[in-house]
Amino acid sequence: MLAVKASRVSKVYKGSRYAALDEVSLDIDAGMTFTLLGRNGAGKTTFVRMCATQLLPTSGRIEVLGYDVASQAGMIRNLISIVPQEGRPLRALTPWDHVYNWLKIRGESNESAKEKSAEILQKLELYDARDRPAMNLSGGMKQKILVAMAMATDAELLFLDEPTIGLDPISRRQVWSAIRDWKDRGRSILLTTHYMDEAEMLSDRVAIIDRGKIIVHGTLQDLRKVIPQNVRVDVAKNGIDPGLLSSYGSVVDTGAGSLRVFTYESAARELSELAIKRNLSFTVSPVTLDDVFVSLVGNAANEEAGSGGADGA
Amino acid sequence: MLLMKKQVAEVRMVHKTSGRITSIKASTSKTLPLKQVYLIAHLTGILWLRRNPVSMIFTAISPFSLLFVLFVISNGQYVHFAIAGSLVMALVGYGLALGQDISFYKTEYKIQDLFVASPVSPLTYMMGLALSELLFGLPALTVLAFLVVYSGSSILSIPLLVANILLIWGSMSAMGFFLSSHMLHMRNATQVISFVNVILAVIPPVYYSVNILPQGLRYLAYAVPTTHASLMLQYTMGAKTPADWSLFLGFVVQIAYLVGFVALAKTKAIWREV
Repeated sequence: MLAVKASRVSKVYKGSRYAALDEVSLDIDAGMTFTLLGRNGAGKTTFVRMCATQLLPTSGRIEVLGYDVASQAGMIRNLISIVPQEGRPLRALTPWDHVYNWLKIRGESNESAKEKSAEILQKLELYDARDRPAMNLSGGMKQKILVAMAMATDAELLFLDEPTIGLDPISRRQVWSAIRDWKDRGRSILLTTHYMDEAEMLSDRVAIIDRGKIIVHGTLQDLRKVIPQNVRVDVAKNGIDPGLLSSYGSVVDTGAGSLRVFTYESAARELSELAIKRNLSFTVSPVTLDDVFVSLVGNAANEEAGSGGADGA
Repeated sequence: MLLMKKQVAEVRMVHKTSGRITSIKASTSKTLPLKQVYLIAHLTGILWLRRNPVSMIFTAISPFSLLFVLFVISNGQYVHFAIAGSLVMALVGYGLALGQDISFYKTEYKIQDLFVASPVSPLTYMMGLALSELLFGLPALTVLAFLVVYSGSSILSIPLLVANILLIWGSMSAMGFFLSSHMLHMRNATQVISFVNVILAVIPPVYYSVNILPQGLRYLAYAVPTTHASLMLQYTMGAKTPADWSLFLGFVVQIAYLVGFVALAKTKAIWREV
């Protein structure tokens, strides 16, 4: 069963010459966490908003849980829930007001709404602040109110558009835990994020979108294969010749005072010994999704810069 | 309360693709839209007022400013126009203010995104927020309505007064919703709605007699719903109304505007963006 099936979907906003989404085709299986990764303006939110029946595609077809977003939006809206990007709770209302009343608006009985509100507020550590107006809460707590509203529902498919923006590391983990619980109940999630660690922690499958096109998608293991080497060694930039490093593998400048060498375990061992011998600081770690993302999107950006550039949406 | 009546049915829905059965509560319950209207008003109006009761006083005072000026200048002579005009202006203001609220929730809070991607219909959302706006104006409306009844009409005219209030409030709310749905920025919404407020509540004969207008402009004034709302209030207060106007005409024009604006809001307001 598919949670989302997108077939050659394009979106050109009114007044724009460029496609925010360009013939995107994507199948998202139900019961999984699917993450869309991309830079600002890559088209992530446009895709999510179209799936969540908030925006009509210019062309192509999207089916959500088997229903067409253009003609059967009413059916879909009973089955989905969303955390919008940059949403804010109402200032004078408390976390309890938001979650409890939202559940009742969606048709829950008083008892069920109470039970579910208490459960999700506890899960996200908002329960103790349940009676405090949102205006007196931190930015992270405000963001968690919106997450709680969406995750307290019985929806089959949850759209989370950058849900952990502005959250501290502890709060992010609370949201991650709630997302895992949601998935464990057999429900589906379409997540967008800038955070690679978040995508690695939560995703069953990932797609990287850039300038309106899906440039790669698959499992985390599939994506890691984009970089053939499996280890990276970061070596302090000062005191070492980049030419020497390139004999160990492919070298990129991290922009943070070090050079990153993508290589294999045996070469990494030799490189580490060299760094110790020269008294250079270094770190060794596995290749991450972040590296894959930078490799794919960074290369595309460089090619674009070389060819004169174009607007994204 | 009727709106609170609980008839939440549980509907079992079968996914087309999986055959999996999902419990979807109340999506087809007949009373749910009414309950949603109340809950939206509760969320955006009652809860706010409960925590900020002073805001009700601020909202209540403004409709009395022109009433006070007219009363003082005319030495009480134009009190009928002043009361009718103030009530109409207040209703236009509360109705159109819905547009500002909607723009605010859409552009600043993204709350509308939550509602669009939910089983709440645009009309339900509009009615909930319109009811919320009305709650803020309730003290002013109560005082002004009392003044209408006190200024010469009988208790029997109260249904006429209530019908008039509902007609103008309903059509202005629908208009506010339609206008705001097309606004991309909060500032645009405020400017457009202020402009429409002047067009509907200041320029037409709402605070003054339609008789002072030349014949051509009088017909133009009769095409404006607020003219009829004011005339109906003057009629309710027992004041003399023009010979070429009737209560029936007032109702017909106001009902036509209400139906037209609700239809416009339902079909042409932007709910899902294109």
